[in-house]
Amino acid sequence: MKTKAMLIDITKCIGCRACEQICKEIHGFPQEHEPTLSATALTVVQERGDKFVRRMCMQCQDPACASACPVGALTKTAQGAVRYAGGKCIGCRYCMIACPFDVPKYEWSKLAPYVTKCDMCAERVLAGKPTACAEVCPVGATIFGDRDDLLAEAHKRIAENPAYVRKIYGEMEVGGTSVFFLSDVPFEELGFVTAPMTQPLPTLSAAALGEVPTVVLVGGSLLAGLYWFTQRRQQVAAAEAAEKEDKNVLRFRDKERS
Amino acid sequence: MTRLRLPKITLWRVLVGVIFAAGAWATYLRFVKGFEVATNMSNGQPWGIWVAVATLCGVGLSAGGFAIAGAVYLLGMERYRPVLRAAVIIAFLGYLSVVAGYAWELGLPWNFWHPLVMWNRSSVLFEVVWCIILYTMVLALEFSPALVERIPWAPVREWYLRWHHRILIALVLIGVLLSSLHQSFLGGLFIIFKGKMYPLWYSNYQTTLFYMSAIPAGMAMIIMALYLSVRSLNVRIDLRILDDFSRIITPILVIFALFRFADLYKQHALGYLFLPVEETAYFWLEMALFIAAPLVLFNLPRLRQQPIGLYWASAVLIAGFMVHRINVSITSLERATHAGYVPKWPEMAVTIMLVAAAVLAFRGAVLHLRIFPQTMQVAPPPLLLPRMTGQVFPARPSAAVN
Ligand code: SF4
Ligand code: SF4
Repeated sequence: MKTKAMLIDITKCIGCRACEQICKEIHGFPQEHEPTLSATALTVVQERGDKFVRRMCMQCQDPACASACPVGALTKTAQGAVRYAGGKCIGCRYCMIACPFDVPKYEWSKLAPYVTKCDMCAERVLAGKPTACAEVCPVGATIFGDRDDLLAEAHKRIAENPAYVRKIYGEMEVGGTSVFFLSDVPFEELGFVTAPMTQPLPTLSAAALGEVPTVVLVGGSLLAGLYWFTQRRQQVAAAEAAEKEDKNVLRFRDKERS
Repeated sequence: MTRLRLPKITLWRVLVGVIFAAGAWATYLRFVKGFEVATNMSNGQPWGIWVAVATLCGVGLSAGGFAIAGAVYLLGMERYRPVLRAAVIIAFLGYLSVVAGYAWELGLPWNFWHPLVMWNRSSVLFEVVWCIILYTMVLALEFSPALVERIPWAPVREWYLRWHHRILIALVLIGVLLSSLHQSFLGGLFIIFKGKMYPLWYSNYQTTLFYMSAIPAGMAMIIMALYLSVRSLNVRIDLRILDDFSRIITPILVIFALFRFADLYKQHALGYLFLPVEETAYFWLEMALFIAAPLVLFNLPRLRQQPIGLYWASAVLIAGFMVHRINVSITSLERATHAGYVPKWPEMAVTIMLVAAAVLAFRGAVLHLRIFPQTMQVAPPPLLLPRMTGQVFPARPSAAVN
């Protein structure tokens, strides 16, 4: 299967919240609207001025959450979605802080709490269907398709219409994502994380982890060397002491003999 | 006269009772009512003081174990041998309480063993978990002779101790490596939070910073524990060892401070040093307690001469160290998350209970095992010993003395 993605055109969204509702329905969550993502809201439509902005997992190409998870419970799949295997999760919540978009949420009220986040309707997509939110969107503000096609479509829209901000949010961010946003208002005004971050975050920790073999090799030989050195020094000291002792004994014997 | 058989009610016993009762109630809340009732952690601040204090401080404060084991075995600093076992058991108990703390901290604690079989080599946390588990095992082995000595059956005892002596150097070497790795990788956990952390605490060199800050903290911890052992557990050691340890602290703190500010300069964060915001106050509190105050206190000749002076200077340093770790893991994220996290009482109660359990276990070990050299009890009063205490002990001690 080709890598899938979603394209969300903020200029088209009318704020009907159909995506939000169908998502809650599919997952069996209570229907009322929540202002931010939560354990029972995997996507929300937020009002920013006269615009409506959808929030959800960006399905990063090189996801920070997946690289952070100590047991590999989160994985980027070939179909594009970043999926969560609750059976592996230990509940350390590192993924929640590692995600640059603050997406993963936790079931704080449960006794066996799991992490929750959008998985781009992974099962539906495997069955050949589009995501539920894209299917239900009445104005085509959210569309689903192959990642390459959607990127091309986004570029085409920007080229054809000067009203768009000259940027596809998600094309470069943290090394690229599988959810793209188009807007006619600067993204920072809509609450998007816009600090310069084109680098995938996992490369940062990979750089640190890359030092492990060096530390072990260099540190190990250094310590072994130090040990050898102190041993040697002690041996020499002991040998010298023994030598002195021998001499004393000899002298003592000589004295005795004479 | 049944009354006489009841244990005496002292202030300390009452305090211990209160700590464990509160801890038990908090544990009930955590496991029967869940996180939401027992903690103030939230989606904005998923890591509270169980991570900031029970893990980040707990591991850091246990750094004295590898430092002193390395000094004695690898660098041949025989004069520290009398406190070696104490340092190792402090570290061992520290790590045990860190590991135990995960029963409360993890959302699905019964899956704690997953990292052993489900590997994610790109995760810093994965490396930390492995190092901590392996190092706790190394510490258990390093410490085991103190228990094995108590076995009444001589052949087993001697067989074990001979075998132990053979692998000891390798154990110490591995221990130093594992410690160095995870002490720094605890800082490495924060590297991936780029863009979320307040600039005064984000660093690409968080690994180095964590490593460097752990050593003085670990030393201070040992100074405090040794002082208390001498004061109230009738232990006899040359208290000038404490003075030696405190000498190591000053240069490391100076290097840490220089590195810290050079790093702030490199991350273009110097402009944040005096901004009129809350973070600035936390930053300078950290600098005052962790750097400035200890540097002054540990270098006042008057204060150094008295063990109790070193004790209080160490207490200040440890407080500063805790502020540092809390700042990195909690304060730094507040601006991005607006979580307004303040720990709830059960979080405090569990943390305090873990510390109390470690302290009680240390006390029990000192009283019932051979942690400190017994020979000293027939030696003259400790403060009158010549400077080189190492002379009292053979240069190549037998395995049994260790
Ligand atoms: S947006 Fe966050 S949760 Fe979603 S894939 Fe990226 S890092 Fe993971
Ligand atoms: S909470 Fe679960 S999914 Fe998230 S990093 Fe920890 S183990 Fe992985």
